[in-house]
Amino acid sequence: MNMMQVMQSVVWAVLLWPCLVSLGVPLECKDEQGSIILCASISKEKLLDRVIQHAELIYRVSEESCTLFEEMFVPFPMRSQRNQAGYTCATKAFPIPGSKSEIQQISDKWLLHSVLILVQSWIEPLVYLQTTLDRYDDAPDTLLKKTKWVSEKLLSLEQGVVVLIRKMLDDDMLTNSYYEQGVAPYALQPEVLESVLRDYTLLSCFKKDAHKMETFLKLLKCRQTDKYSCFLH
Amino acid sequence: MMWRDVGVTLILSLILPVVAQGARHTPPGKPKLTSCRSPDKETFTCWWEAGSDGGRPTTYSLFYHKENSETVYECPDYHTAGANSCFFNKNETSIWVNYNITVVATNALGNNFSDPVDVDVVYIVQPHTPENVTVGVLEDEDGPFLRVSWEPPRKADTRSGWITLIYELRVKLEEAEEWEEHRAGQQKMFNIFSLHSGGVYMVQVRCKPDHGFWSEWSTASYVKVPDYIPRERSMWILIAVFSAFIFLILTWIITLNRSSVKHCLLPPVPGPKIKGFDQQLLKKGKPEEVFNSLVVQSFPPRSTDYEDLLVEYLEVYVNEKQELMPEGKDLRDVGCLKSKSQSDNDSGRGSCDSHTLLMEKCGGVESKDESSYEEPELLQGQAGSWERLERGDSQVVDTPDSSDARVKTWPLVFSPSIHGSSDNHHYGTLEMPKQHSTSEITYSVPDHLFPTSTSFPHHHHPEYRDSLGEYSEYRHSRSPSTGVLYHWEAQHHPQAHSNFNIRNLERQKEATGLGLPPSRSMEYVEVQKVNQENQLVLKPLSSHGRGPSQVQFGRAVVDYSKVNGVNNDNVLLLQRQREMAEAGQYCDYREKEGAEAERYPTQQQGKTTKDGPVATQLQESTCLTTSGYVDTVPTMPTF
Repeated sequence: MNMMQVMQSVVWAVLLWPCLVSLGVPLECKDEQGSIILCASISKEKLLDRVIQHAELIYRVSEESCTLFEEMFVPFPMRSQRNQAGYTCATKAFPIPGSKSEIQQISDKWLLHSVLILVQSWIEPLVYLQTTLDRYDDAPDTLLKKTKWVSEKLLSLEQGVVVLIRKMLDDDMLTNSYYEQGVAPYALQPEVLESVLRDYTLLSCFKKDAHKMETFLKLLKCRQTDKYSCFLH
Repeated sequence: MMWRDVGVTLILSLILPVVAQGARHTPPGKPKLTSCRSPDKETFTCWWEAGSDGGRPTTYSLFYHKENSETVYECPDYHTAGANSCFFNKNETSIWVNYNITVVATNALGNNFSDPVDVDVVYIVQPHTPENVTVGVLEDEDGPFLRVSWEPPRKADTRSGWITLIYELRVKLEEAEEWEEHRAGQQKMFNIFSLHSGGVYMVQVRCKPDHGFWSEWSTASYVKVPDYIPRERSMWILIAVFSAFIFLILTWIITLNRSSVKHCLLPPVPGPKIKGFDQQLLKKGKPEEVFNSLVVQSFPPRSTDYEDLLVEYLEVYVNEKQELMPEGKDLRDVGCLKSKSQSDNDSGRGSCDSHTLLMEKCGGVESKDESSYEEPELLQGQAGSWERLERGDSQVVDTPDSSDARVKTWPLVFSPSIHGSSDNHHYGTLEMPKQHSTSEITYSVPDHLFPTSTSFPHHHHPEYRDSLGEYSEYRHSRSPSTGVLYHWEAQHHPQAHSNFNIRNLERQKEATGLGLPPSRSMEYVEVQKVNQENQLVLKPLSSHGRGPSQVQFGRAVVDYSKVNGVNNDNVLLLQRQREMAEAGQYCDYREKEGAEAERYPTQQQGKTTKDGPVATQLQESTCLTTSGYVDTVPTMPTF
């Protein structure tokens, strides 16, 4: 009897061997915020790379959108050049490191959290920006497409960062979002009265924050690979 | 005096500006920030340019404040970056933060502020040029290629990911003018292919952060490519394959159209071709079939009834006068039945007026009618001669001329004094004029008239048919003694030997009297055939109950029209009635001709002495008192 049972189990194991393998290595990582275990297949490095790619793309698209908007709607004297910024972005509740030295002093956890905060802070304003841009008469399609794309990618970026936090930090505290501020801060800017300038400021600030995200993530990556060489510089 | 004033003004004009210059003291001009740059996103430097000096030493100072604070800081370092510059070190540099920078120029008299400039370090990054640009030539199976490698600028922290740089390089031959640029991305190495063998290349590299400015080009690196032979094997292979393919297609096309090509280049020589000729039959050895196929069915045109083609209509005059006139008249009036040849389109009647009847005048003794008024004279003339003849002397017959005349006038011997006897026996015989009432008349006719008489000792029977229709036979016999004396024996043959049957004599006799112009009674005779002796076998049409409608039997004078001639369309040209004199003259002419022509047929007749009915060729006499007439006999069909 035992032999028979052993034989059966062996046979079953042989037959279901591909299933076991597939079960052990889940390929897809489609999950909500709760289920992380299934996405153990993807490594942290790969995930970080993907997040970084996301951040890079988002920054690039936001830069192009800002340029488009600037050329279409912003009068020339009021255009801010690249090395100048004539606007003031809203300050975050959470302190964001402003220099490399500061960043180097921040831990990975804070780094990720900073990214997450940034991402979450821009989800709603981008949606608002989309509705605002639709009101424009001659807004080019590319601008609208880009802003829409950016808002979508931002969501996926948020997901990735969340997963990344869980993976890297083994932290499971992402049920509540840190950033709960709405669009209001930007709408209440006293010096910005015109909608055009308001939108322009919105885009510019988002562009900057996208760059921040990208930089943070890249720094994080360096830390993951070679901690010592990153700090030496 | 004037010269002095001018000099003073000149001097004053030169001195015053100098003096005035030194005396001017103004606050400094407005400075201007030209640019701010950060090489590594960690520090940055700003440069400004000074305005006018204002005459006093001016100091410049830079003040800034960050975007969310009002604290104004001054530039920490004015010297590191050179004159009129401000250097911000790492500790003072905050990225993603806007700096509001202002430069102030200050001199003893005052100061001047420049326009504030907002700067975000992130956006002013301009790295240094890449370093350690190395270019090497490497070999490959396709040929040599360049490998360019470099390093990022020292200050840019790309390792930690603080800055992400993208590179760009450009290559050109040393003597070329245009650069060939290549975007290398984030990699630090690049390969260049398709080199010119033996050429010297120049390579330069530069870099840029994803959100900043391009760096300067690195210094050019030179490299020499060794000589090599480019192997363009693939091109030759392609050409060979293509040409072989085309060759195959052409060959295939030509093979398909082999026959037409051959036909085009070497056109076939046309051979003889006979329609309907079958070579296969010839090969089989049946020439009859071969030639039969050549026979065209439609040729010659066939007619089922040969006899129809040979139908000739012969007209015979039935002379009313004969009952009163001597038989000579009968003879005269005897219409020679002219045998028409097949080719003669003329009417069946031998007309004296017809031109074409020259050869067809019947031979033999012709009896022609002459005008009645001429008769008595000739009769007289002839009577004597005849009398001479009758004596039976060995009198040489007259010469042919006279004999002709005699012949011609022979019928005149028979004067109209002869009264036709009422008996049925009609004398179609030649009778002596007035004296003779015998039915037997012997004439001596010269030989030449009957050339055949020499060869035939026996009797000849030239048979004539007189207009009376009675068959009368004239025998001319030759007495052995004279040799030239011919006895003409006219015999009566009440019954016609031939088919010739004329029964209208009686009617004619009754109809006309003497002196009346003889009304001809014509009858049409049909030539049935030509027998072996070239004799016409005649048959009267009346026996068959048919005949041309124009047959008139001793009735009123029929209006006949004279044939003027025959034109090309085989149409008889008719003539209206002419004078009788004309007709008579015509007749004389015809008679003469007729006599000559008449010889030949009789010659033929003489050759064969056969009993039995023979057809005679008679020539009808158309010398009427009235004009010549032509019957509208349907012409014989011609081929």
